[in-house]
Amino acid sequence: MRAVSLAVAEDDAKRALATLVETCAGLRSGAIVAAGGELLAESAEGDWSAQVRRLWSALDGERKPPATQVHVATEAGELFAVRSGAITVVALTDRFALASLMFCDLRSVLRDLPAVADLADGEAALDAERKAA
Amino acid sequence: MQKPHRFLLDRVASYAEEGSAYLRRRRIRSQPFARVWREGGAVEAVGAETEVGIRLFKVANALLGEAARPK
Repeated sequence: MRAVSLAVAEDDAKRALATLVETCAGLRSGAIVAAGGELLAESAEGDWSAQVRRLWSALDGERKPPATQVHVATEAGELFAVRSGAITVVALTDRFALASLMFCDLRSVLRDLPAVADLADGEAALDAERKAA
Repeated sequence: MQKPHRFLLDRVASYAEEGSAYLRRRRIRSQPFARVWREGGAVEAVGAETEVGIRLFKVANALLGEAARPK
């Protein structure tokens, strides 16, 4: 049951990521990662799951409200990450990408992933049930 | 009425000012930085020398280093 749901979610994620890569100027590569570390889609090979986990864990340790968006600019390029619920969309761009437009596009990808979001919510509910039992 | 050469001087000076402002903005923007948005709308700049900043830049550099490998 879970495998079928995940396959549907991956299809949605791959489609959403392909649209993002097509429409975003300056986008080098990107990925969509579920909270459990499952890589749902990637446009280039990379250690996406582990790095996304490291990214959020660096911010979640602080006594502040949870981080929802991150923008890191380095000399080699820029990293944008947005998360909603259990899904993270991460994008790597050339230098001087327009941050607000990039975040707008990443948030629209998250909005277009209902199946993935349902899956993530379902997994979270299952985990909660397991802990309660 | 303004003399024509003054108008031209003003115009050129304006363009030069715009150009230098653009270069100044670009120089500031070219410094590495990290910015975080939190639930509730708070936005914070993360210093590259802080523990969190170091970890964020490590992740960014690792992914950007791998980005040259298209699928």
